[in-house]
Amino acid sequence: MTVAGYLIETQNLVKIYKQGNVKAVDGLNLKIHEGEIYAFIGANGSGKTTAIKMLTGMLDPTSGSIRVFGLSQPKNRKIIARNIGIAPQEYSLYNDLTTYENIRFFAYLYGMEKQVFKTKFDELIQILHLEDKKESLVSNLSGGMKRRVSIACALIHSPRLVFFDEATVGVDPILRKFFWKYFNELKQRGVTLIITSHVMDEAERADRIGLIRAGKLIDEGTPNKLKIKHDVDTIEEVFIKLSDEVIRDE
Amino acid sequence: MSDESIEFIESHEYYRPSKFSYKRVFLVMRRVLRQITRDRRTFGMIIIMPLIIMAVFGFALGGDITNIPIIVDNQDSGYVATVAPGVNVTFAFGDNITSALQKDDKVHYNTGDFESNKKNVDNGLYYAAIYIPSNFSESIYNKTQGQPINVTIIVYIDATKPTIKATILVALQDAMQSAIGAKGITIDQIFAFGGVEFTGLDTSIPSVIAFVITFLVLLISLLTIKRESIGGTEERLYASPLKASERLVGYTLALTILALIIVTAILIISIFLFGVIVQGNFFLLIIMLILFSLLHVLLAVFLSNFAKNELQAVQMAPLIALPSMALSGMLVPVNSFPVFVQIIAKFIPLYYGNRIFEGIMLKGWDLSLLWPDVLIISIMALISFILAMITVKDKIQA
Repeated sequence: MTVAGYLIETQNLVKIYKQGNVKAVDGLNLKIHEGEIYAFIGANGSGKTTAIKMLTGMLDPTSGSIRVFGLSQPKNRKIIARNIGIAPQEYSLYNDLTTYENIRFFAYLYGMEKQVFKTKFDELIQILHLEDKKESLVSNLSGGMKRRVSIACALIHSPRLVFFDEATVGVDPILRKFFWKYFNELKQRGVTLIITSHVMDEAERADRIGLIRAGKLIDEGTPNKLKIKHDVDTIEEVFIKLSDEVIRDE
Repeated sequence: MSDESIEFIESHEYYRPSKFSYKRVFLVMRRVLRQITRDRRTFGMIIIMPLIIMAVFGFALGGDITNIPIIVDNQDSGYVATVAPGVNVTFAFGDNITSALQKDDKVHYNTGDFESNKKNVDNGLYYAAIYIPSNFSESIYNKTQGQPINVTIIVYIDATKPTIKATILVALQDAMQSAIGAKGITIDQIFAFGGVEFTGLDTSIPSVIAFVITFLVLLISLLTIKRESIGGTEERLYASPLKASERLVGYTLALTILALIIVTAILIISIFLFGVIVQGNFFLLIIMLILFSLLHVLLAVFLSNFAKNELQAVQMAPLIALPSMALSGMLVPVNSFPVFVQIIAKFIPLYYGNRIFEGIMLKGWDLSLLWPDVLIISIMALISFILAMITVKDKIQA
C-alpha cells in the first residue's frame, strides 16, 4: 500500500505546452485508490492524455506534484515504470513485427523470464482472442486487433497499475463489452485501472469517474452519486450540465 | 426524375462535367507551399542547403593546386664551356631549374638527398623527389652542340593523386623551359609505393568507398532510428524501464551490423567487379572500414536527436555528405583550398577516411603511418557518442 493510502495522488498539477503557450492541465488534484477502475472522462482536447503522460513519467509537469505507489514522479520514473502498463491512444506497436514479436519485446523489456513470459503470453492471447494472429505482422491487422495487441503489450508483465488511454474508443460494441469484462477481471486480481474516454456511457462501468474539462477536474465520484447529485439519468447529462455551469461561470 | 429536375441539373453549373480547373490547381499549390513553410526545418534546409553546397563546391573546385611538398636533390656540378678562343662560360642548368621551382607556388620546395628521401615520398611527407644528375649541365651543353645524348631528370613520384602528379610534372616542365629554353630532356618517372602505375579507377576507389560509407551509413542509420518513433512507439518506451542509454547502445549495435553488411557489399563490388588493388594489409582495411562506419553510425545516432521526422532525417545525410565530398580532398586535393578551408577540412571525417583508405589500398601503409588518422577518427567517434548520450531524449519535449 502507498504512503498516503492512495496509489496515485496529484496536487495542483499543471502542464503548459511551450509551443502555443497552451495550458493543457490546470491544477489537477487526483486521489486514486489501489484496485479501483477510475474513468477519466472529458471531451477531446480536455487534457486527459496530457495528464496520463505526466502520470506515467513520459512528460514533465510544469508545476505541481505527482506520487505513484507513494514515489515521486517523474523523479522515480524508471522504478515506477516497472510496475505500470500503458495502452496508448495510438496503438504504439512495431508494424514490421508480428503480434508475438511485439509482445515478447515488451515482456523482455520488463525483465520477464522466458518461461514466465510463455505462460503469460498463452494466457493473454487466449483471453484477447489473438491465437490466430500470433504470427501476423501488426501492419496487416485490423484496428480492433491492433488494439488487442497493444493491450497485451501493456499487460504482459502483470503490472499493478494500467493506463488505457482511449483504449475502447473506435472499437465495436461487442469488443468494447468484452474489454470491460476483462477490465473487471483485472480489478478482481487487485490491478488498478485508469481509463480515459470521451465516450460518456463508458464511464458508467467504472468504480469512480473524474470529469475533466479544459484541464480542470470539474467533478468526481461514483457514477450513481454523480447522477443523484446532479439529478440526471446519465453521465453524459452530468457532463453537459457541469460544462454549461463552467461556461456560465467563465 | 421529372423533366423539371433534369432541366435544373443540366442548367446548373455544379452538375456539368468537370473541366480542368486552374482554381483547384492553385488551391493545391498554395496548400503544398503552406505546409512546407510550416515545417521550419525543411524550409530552412531549402534556403541553407544551396548556400552551403555552392560555397563548399566553389571553394573545392575553384582554386588552383598550390604548395605541393616536393624535395629536390640537385647534384649538378655545372659546366665550364669554351664558347670562343679564350672565352669561357659557366653553365649551371640545375641551379636554374631549382630557382625556377622555388619561385613556382604550385610546389613547396625542399632540398635533400634523393635516395634517402624516397621513403619520405612513400610515407606521404613529400609528393615527389627530384634528382638532377652531376653531369646535367655538361650533358645539356653537349646536346645543344649536336651530340646525341640523353639528358634525364629522375622523378620519384606519388601517382595516387593524378591531379597532384600532373601539377608537379607541369611545374618541373615549366622550370626546365624557363631555365634552359630547350626541350629534349627526359623526365624518368619512378612510381612510389612499389612502382605500381595506377589507373584512374584505382586512385578513385578508396575515396569512393569512404564517401559511400559516409552517405549510406548516415542515411540508413538516420532513417532506421526515425522510423522507430513513428506511431508513438518511442513515447511508449519513455514510460518503460528501458533507459535512454540502453536504447542508444541498442541502436548503435544494430546499425553497426547493418553497416557491416554495407561494408561487405562495397568490398565485394570493389574487388570482384572493379578488380581493385589492395597494396596494404587487407585485415587492417576491414578493421578501418568498420571503425569508419561506426563513427558514422554514432554520428547518425547523435543527429537523429535533432530530426523530428523521417523527412528531416533524409535531408541531414546529403547536408553532411555533399560538403564532406567537396572539402575532404576527394574531388581536388586539400592543398588547393584557401588556408581557412584547409583548416575546416581537418574537421571532416571523410578527409581522414580518404587518407586511411588511400594509404592502405594504394600506398601499402600500415598503422605506423596511419595511427594519427585512426586516432582522430576514434576521437570523433567517441565525441559523437558522448554528444548522442547528452542529447538523447527520454521524455516528450513540450
